[in-house]
Amino acid sequence: MHDAGLPGRRRGPGLQRVLPILGVLTGVLLVAGPLAAMLARSLLLWEGEEPRLSLHNFIDLLSDPRFHEAVGNTLLCGIGTTIASCVLGLSLAWVVARTDMPGRRWFEIANLIPFFLSPYVGAISWIYLAAPNSGIIQQFMRVQFGLSLEFLNIYSLGGVIWVLTLFYTPYVYLFVIAPLRQMDAALEDAARVHGASFWLTLRLVTVPLLMPALLSGALVVFVTSAGLFDVPLALASPSGIRTMPTEIYAAVQYPSDFGRAAAFGVLVLTVTVLLTLLQRRYLSRRRYETVTGKGYRPRLIRLSLPGRIAALSLEVIYIGAGVVLPTLALVMVSLSRLWTGRFNPDRASLANFEYVLFNYQLTQQAITNSLILAVTGATIGVALSLLQAYYLNRGHPKRRPFVDALLSLPLGIPGIILGLGFLILAIRTPLYSTLAIVLIAYVARFFPFATRTVSAMFQAINPELEQSARASGASWGQTMRLVLLPLLRPALIAAWIMLFVIFIRELGATILLYAQGTETISVALVILSDRSFGYAAALAVIQLLLLLVAFVLFRASKASIVQS
Amino acid sequence: MARQGRAFVRVAGLVKRYGEHPAVDGVSLTVEEGHTLALLGPSGCGKTTILRCLAGLETPEEGQIEIGGRVVFDRAAGVNLMPEQRELGIVFQSYAVWPHMTVAENVGFPLRVRRVPRPEQRDRVRRILDVVGLAAWHDRPATNLSGGQQQRVALARALVHEPRLVLFDEALSNLDAQLREQMRMELKVLQGRLGFTAIYVTHDQAEAFGLAEHVVVMSRGRVETQGAPREVFHRPDTPFVARFLGLNLLQGRVLRSRSADDGTYAEIALRDGISLWGRVVGPQDLAAGAPALACVRKEHVRLAPCGASQDGVLSGEVRASSFLGLTEEYVLDLGGLELRAVQPFMGTAPGQRVAVSIQPEECIVLPAERAEAPQ
Repeated sequence: MHDAGLPGRRRGPGLQRVLPILGVLTGVLLVAGPLAAMLARSLLLWEGEEPRLSLHNFIDLLSDPRFHEAVGNTLLCGIGTTIASCVLGLSLAWVVARTDMPGRRWFEIANLIPFFLSPYVGAISWIYLAAPNSGIIQQFMRVQFGLSLEFLNIYSLGGVIWVLTLFYTPYVYLFVIAPLRQMDAALEDAARVHGASFWLTLRLVTVPLLMPALLSGALVVFVTSAGLFDVPLALASPSGIRTMPTEIYAAVQYPSDFGRAAAFGVLVLTVTVLLTLLQRRYLSRRRYETVTGKGYRPRLIRLSLPGRIAALSLEVIYIGAGVVLPTLALVMVSLSRLWTGRFNPDRASLANFEYVLFNYQLTQQAITNSLILAVTGATIGVALSLLQAYYLNRGHPKRRPFVDALLSLPLGIPGIILGLGFLILAIRTPLYSTLAIVLIAYVARFFPFATRTVSAMFQAINPELEQSARASGASWGQTMRLVLLPLLRPALIAAWIMLFVIFIRELGATILLYAQGTETISVALVILSDRSFGYAAALAVIQLLLLLVAFVLFRASKASIVQS
Repeated sequence: MARQGRAFVRVAGLVKRYGEHPAVDGVSLTVEEGHTLALLGPSGCGKTTILRCLAGLETPEEGQIEIGGRVVFDRAAGVNLMPEQRELGIVFQSYAVWPHMTVAENVGFPLRVRRVPRPEQRDRVRRILDVVGLAAWHDRPATNLSGGQQQRVALARALVHEPRLVLFDEALSNLDAQLREQMRMELKVLQGRLGFTAIYVTHDQAEAFGLAEHVVVMSRGRVETQGAPREVFHRPDTPFVARFLGLNLLQGRVLRSRSADDGTYAEIALRDGISLWGRVVGPQDLAAGAPALACVRKEHVRLAPCGASQDGVLSGEVRASSFLGLTEEYVLDLGGLELRAVQPFMGTAPGQRVAVSIQPEECIVLPAERAEAPQ
């Protein structure tokens, strides 16, 4: 709303103009600051006392075979994960949305659980399950069936792709399930009647129509899974496999080479931004209107008995591998005083939990820190996202698309790279090694998730609702409080819970920014994973419980996860 | 149409339930080759379900469907051909034009999946696009078209493989009135030229009567009445049809009846002292005292300034009127009964009394409905 003011009395720009712009600027600065610091650092070279501008860091890096190895491995992981998640996510979404598979309402929700879990904990659990020789699965098969599964080794690129796929499948699933469900049935029916078989219709009509959604999902999965630090740290590093995130981490460790890390970060960032821009271009050219509102909802396909078995097996394998088996393994390890690869129920004890919760300073501190970070971070993030969403929906119409693109930039930036930027920025300031810098990094990396959720709901709110409040005499503040906020409540709750979940499990940014006393649960898990299986598993179970509570709250709030 | 006699589509005893609710409840019908059948009825009457059963998009619980001498569905014999095996064309209300294909790709789809050689595909697509007037749009993405053009694409796609039966599911109802009128005419011309059989589902009586040789009126999953358009239009034989066609329905009891050359006439007592004569439709005779309905088309209610007291003239009060263009619709109060009349403007204002006359030949007398919920 543009307020012309009363004649004879010019009013300055009110809160309604200033606050949203402030929210946008904060968001931009939060991202631009660390990235600029990283870019600057990558171009500086210290020789003696004075730094000088140089491309040395880049030249060094590009000519290093270890760099090529890391990039190759990360590309392999990213592409492998993307393909596997697309196939799995699309199949699961199709089975749930389009067939009469028994229990599909239950699976519809269950398929989202991995979205809420921690990939690092997932990787640890899969170490318990499938570590060479000592894994629970190998032992179980050997003892029960006399089968040798020696080839099964979770410490491999295959292991990384496997665990990443389990965690990134819900992203694709979320992207494609809505269009699958809402597509006008006539689009497929017309193909059938005009002579295409079921499979031909799937290939020529259904899948091409889902392509924009599928490609969006694929890009998000590629960028985020390739940039994820957690899983390669747990599964690739132990066997000496280099990947992009673990190499950046290694460069910052003693003897640290910030120039190398920064140059690495800049290169990754360039690729990420290019990919995101490509996707925007692609999507702007094809926005299919597949929802006509006048057509029918697609019919459910009646599965034959073999079809039913296949669909159910797919679900059971996915939920089993993504949720049930890892949880079981964690619980078994956490209840064992000494983990030997087999669980002995007679010797189960809560000693690990007791120690982690009441006697161990590191873990106690970590749990407290994580809760502080998650609660304050989510609150700040949602407040920021509200202001930004206001600008994106009520701000200057011509600037909105640009601001939208700018604000969604961090979505693709790996946490470890933003963490590196903040580290470079804060290293010589009092902020260094405080909880505050971790908090700032969290908000900077993840506010776009909240902004997208809130903005999507904002879009559905007719501006006339606010205009009538203003016309009835309410001030802008009153309108916000009495009209807009109540209408946005579900989205605000959803965004808060989503940020809470992300912050409770965050590792990539934290690992570079934590110091003694500011460890989080995930950091403590990394530290403990070398020392004690039992303590790590107990702490992981506690984190899992926190995440599951958030998931239950999320379901109860009837909010929905908004994609794209 | 010239060809007569042979049933091209035969539907017998069709039942389709959704849960407990029968959407189609024992429907039988036939369509002659080259003819158009209209399935007419309000939404939810089962007309679209029948169409979808014909196309193979729904599987009925009971019955038999035969298209062009081939049984495509027979519950008892366990025959149920897939949609793609039934060799049909279909046009949906939402057009269902694929947004990821060009106009030519959309139209060529039925040929492509039939593996028609490419050069032939191109020729046939060009020809049918010429017919529907979209030749210039050949390479455009289908989503750049207007509603009317998308409709033509859908039509071309349904005809390009020369199916002998084409199904239309509320095909024109998304178009604006003028375009609808134009498309209706074009469809008729096209059908005469290509000679396909058509089944046309609609809730719009003008569309049904204008397009079809045979109209089936449906209500709650059953066939309410069927016949040639003129027959159905002029002699609605059930209260439902009369109401659906927009006639006035006046409830009363039979006073007496008499036979004439052109049928039986009955006098119906409506309210204290008010009665009118009408022609009895249907086989059953109405005994004196039996409940009956007098049905009169709005256009057949004649109004005159009050005063001329004649036989068969009733007196009513104008309650409201609304301007329809060449005519005016009046709402009349006839001793407590509501009656609507459509007349050229006659300068009466609400509150004025008018003389109302209804010709016995233009009033249809039907037995009162059984325990039927009011619509």
